[in-house]
Amino acid sequence: MVGPFAGFKWLALFANWKVFAEGFLTTLLASSLSLCLALVLGIIFGVLGSTHFKFPKAINRVYVEFIQNTPLVIQVFFLFNGLPHMGIMLPVLAVGVLGVGIYHGAYIAEVIRAGIQSIHRGQMEAALSQGFNYVGAMRYIILPQAARVVLPPLANQAVNLIKNTSVMALIAGGDLMYRADSWSSETLHYGPTYVVVGLLYLSLCFPLANLVRYLEKRAEVSA
Amino acid sequence: MIQLTEVHKYFGHNHVLKDISLTVQTGEKLVVIGPSGSGKSTLIRCMNLLEKPTSGKVVVDGVEITAHNAPVAKVRQQVAMVFQQFNLYPHKTVLENLTLAPIIVGGVAKEEAEESGMKYLDRVGLRAKANAFPSQLSGGQQQRVAIARALNMRPKIMLFDEPTSALDPEMIQEVLDVMVDLAHEGITMVVVTHEMGFARQVADRVIFMDEGEIVEQGTPEHFFINPNHDRTKLFLSKILR
Amino acid sequence: MKKVSLIGLVLLLMLSLVLVGCSSTPATTQSKEPADLKAIKDRGVLKVGVKIDVPKFGYKDPKTNQIDGFEIDLARAIAKKILGDEKKIDLQAVTAKTRGPLLDSGEIDLVAATFTITEERKQTYNFSDPYFVDYVGLLVKKDAKIAGLKDLNGKKIGVAQSATSKKAIQEAADKLGIKVEFLEFATYPEIKAALDSGRVQCFSVDKSILFGYLDDSTVILPDNFTSQNYGLASKKGNDALAKLINDTVNEMKSNGELDKLITKWGLK
Ligand SMILES: Nc1ncnc2c1ncn2[C@@H]1O[C@H](COP(=O)(O)OP(=O)(O)OP(=O)(O)O)[C@@H](O)[C@H]1O
Ligand SMILES: [Mg+2]
Repeated sequence: MVGPFAGFKWLALFANWKVFAEGFLTTLLASSLSLCLALVLGIIFGVLGSTHFKFPKAINRVYVEFIQNTPLVIQVFFLFNGLPHMGIMLPVLAVGVLGVGIYHGAYIAEVIRAGIQSIHRGQMEAALSQGFNYVGAMRYIILPQAARVVLPPLANQAVNLIKNTSVMALIAGGDLMYRADSWSSETLHYGPTYVVVGLLYLSLCFPLANLVRYLEKRAEVSA
Repeated sequence: MIQLTEVHKYFGHNHVLKDISLTVQTGEKLVVIGPSGSGKSTLIRCMNLLEKPTSGKVVVDGVEITAHNAPVAKVRQQVAMVFQQFNLYPHKTVLENLTLAPIIVGGVAKEEAEESGMKYLDRVGLRAKANAFPSQLSGGQQQRVAIARALNMRPKIMLFDEPTSALDPEMIQEVLDVMVDLAHEGITMVVVTHEMGFARQVADRVIFMDEGEIVEQGTPEHFFINPNHDRTKLFLSKILR
Repeated sequence: MKKVSLIGLVLLLMLSLVLVGCSSTPATTQSKEPADLKAIKDRGVLKVGVKIDVPKFGYKDPKTNQIDGFEIDLARAIAKKILGDEKKIDLQAVTAKTRGPLLDSGEIDLVAATFTITEERKQTYNFSDPYFVDYVGLLVKKDAKIAGLKDLNGKKIGVAQSATSKKAIQEAADKLGIKVEFLEFATYPEIKAALDSGRVQCFSVDKSILFGYLDDSTVILPDNFTSQNYGLASKKGNDALAKLINDTVNEMKSNGELDKLITKWGLK
C-alpha cells in the first residue's frame, strides 16, 4: 500500500523544487509589501484614532470596524472579481498586497492606538510646549515610545500577515500556498507538499518572532 | 510680556477660571499660590495654550495666541514650561532631551545645540549625566534636566507648574537653587509653587488664587505681613506652619 | 539557533513515525474474506466521496438537500454488490483537494467524483477501468469573439486545481504555437466568477461540468481536447475492493446497465 508520505512522492517534490521556490519568493514579496502598507495604514489610522477630535476618530472607527468585521477572503475576492466590474483590473499581486495590507492595517491601527494611549499625556504636553506641532510630537516623541509597547503585538500581526498572504491561493496569486495546492492536487502528493510548505512558512515566521523577542529585550534595557 | 484679558475657562459645567485679567511684565517674576483645585495650573497652561480658554484673550509678546490660526507653535518656542512630573522624554538621553526640540523645531545645528546643551547641563550641575537616560536619575536631577531642557530653547518666558511638589523633601532645595539662580537673569518667570521661601527670595509679585479668581495680589512681604482677605490668611496659615 | 535545529529534529521524527506507520502492512485476517471487504460489511454501509456541485454527475439539490446523479447511481450499484442493498451508502461531499486525503485516512472507501485517470495518479490510488469518457472543453463569453483555442493566444484560462485540463490545453496550445496562461482555482464557481469579471477569458474543465455553468452570456466551443477517463478510485492496499469495483464496472458495461444510466442522466 502507498501512504501519503511514500518515498517516491518526496523525490517528485524535490525534483520540482523550482515551483516552490517561485511560490516562496512571491509570498516573501507579497508579505513585505503588504507589511509596509499595513504599517503605514496602521500608523495613520492608529494616530487618527488616538486624537481627541470626533472626525478623525470616526474615520478610524469606520475603517477598523468595517475591515475587522468582514472576512479577509471576501475583501480579497471583492478586489479580485468585484473591482473589474467597475473597470479596475488590478494585477493579482497588487490584489494580494492591498487586500492583506488593508486587512492587517486595521489590526495594526488598533495596536498603535492602544500603544499611543498608553503613553502618559505629559509627553504630548512637553512636546507641544517646546513648539512641536502635533505631527512632529507624534513622530519624535510619542510614536518612538509607543513603538516599544506595540512591538510584541505588532510582531504577532506580522506573523499573521505572512500566513494570511495564503489567501492569494484563492485568486491564483502564484504564492507558496497556491503552488502547493496546485502541485499537490495535480500529483496528489499532498503529504510531502504541505509538510514542506508548512516548514517554509515556519522559516519565515519563526525568525521574525525571535527577532522581536530580541528587540523587546533590548528595549527593556534602555528604557 | 503676557497679557490675559477677561479669560474664562470651563471644563464642562465646571467654571475653573472666572474672568481673569492679568499682565506679566517682561522680566517680572510672578509667583502663583492657592489651594488645590483653585485653577493655578489651568491659568499657567493658558499662557502657552496647552489649555484653550473658553473665552477671553491671551497675548504673548504682542501675539494674540487665542486668535484663530495664531502661530502657537512659534510662540511656544519662546515660552518654556517645566512640569510637576518633569515629563522628560524617556527614550532619549539627557543631552538628547535638551537638543531635540532646538534641532528639529528651532532649526539649530546639532553641534551648536549640543554645545549649548552641555553648557546648561553644567549650569544645573549635571554635565556628567549627559549620556544617561532619565530613568537613571533621581527626581531632583530629572527636574534639573527639565529646567536645562527648557533653557536650551533660549526662551524669553519660563512657566513652572509646581516644579518641586513631586520631589522628596531632600531634593527640593537643589531645584530651587537652580531656579533662584535663573531668576537673577532678565528672564520672565511665572511659577506656581507653595515654596514661600522661594517667593520671598525672588518674586516681584505674588498672586493668590481661589475658586478660579485672583483673590489678592502684592509683594511677598505684603503676603507675609498683612494679607487682606480671610481666605488668604487661612491658606497661608496652612502652608506656613 | 539551537532551537531551530531542535524543531527540525522533532518534525523529522514525527515524519518518520508517519512513514513507518503507513508502510507497515495491515494484519490480514485468517478468514477467506479479504479484510477490506469485511470491514465494509461489518460496518454495513459503503462510504463514498462524491461531487455535489456538478449537475448530472453528483449534485445536491438545494431545495431537497438530496444528492443525485450518474455517479451516485454508480456508487449504489457497488453498494448493492457488496452489501446486497443499494441504499446502504453514506455519501460525503468531496472536492479536488479533499478526495485524496479522505481516501488515505479511510474516511471514505471509494471516490466517484469525476476523477480523471492518469498514469501518475495510478501510482497512488487504485483506479477502475473508465466508466465515462469526457473531453476537456472551453467555455467563453459570447461577446468575446472567440471561436476556438487559437483565438485565446495571450489570454488567460481558468482551470480547476487538480484537474487535468491544464495539461490537455497546454499540449494543444503548443501544437498551435500559441501562448496561454493558466489560473487555477479551488472550486468551479470561483472560475465562473473570474470569467464574469474578466480575470480569465476562458473557463476550461471537463465538458460535462461546463454544461452546469452555461448561461445566456456564455457559449461552449465545439473543440474537444484529450479524452478524460473517469474512474472509481480506492485506496492502495484495499485490493479486493478495487477488484470488485472494477468487475462491477465492466459487468455494467457489458450488460448495458452503464449505457442505461448514461442515457438516464442525459449524458449522451
Ligand atoms: N483636563 C481637565 N478636564 C476636566 N477638568 C479639569 C481638567 N484639568 C483641570 N480640571 C479641573 O479644573 C479645576 C482646576 O484645576 P487646576 O489643575 O487648574 O487646579 P490647581 O490649582 O492647579 O490644583 P493643584 O494644586 O491640585 O494642582 C479642578 O476642579 C480640576 O478638577
Ligand atoms: Mg496644579
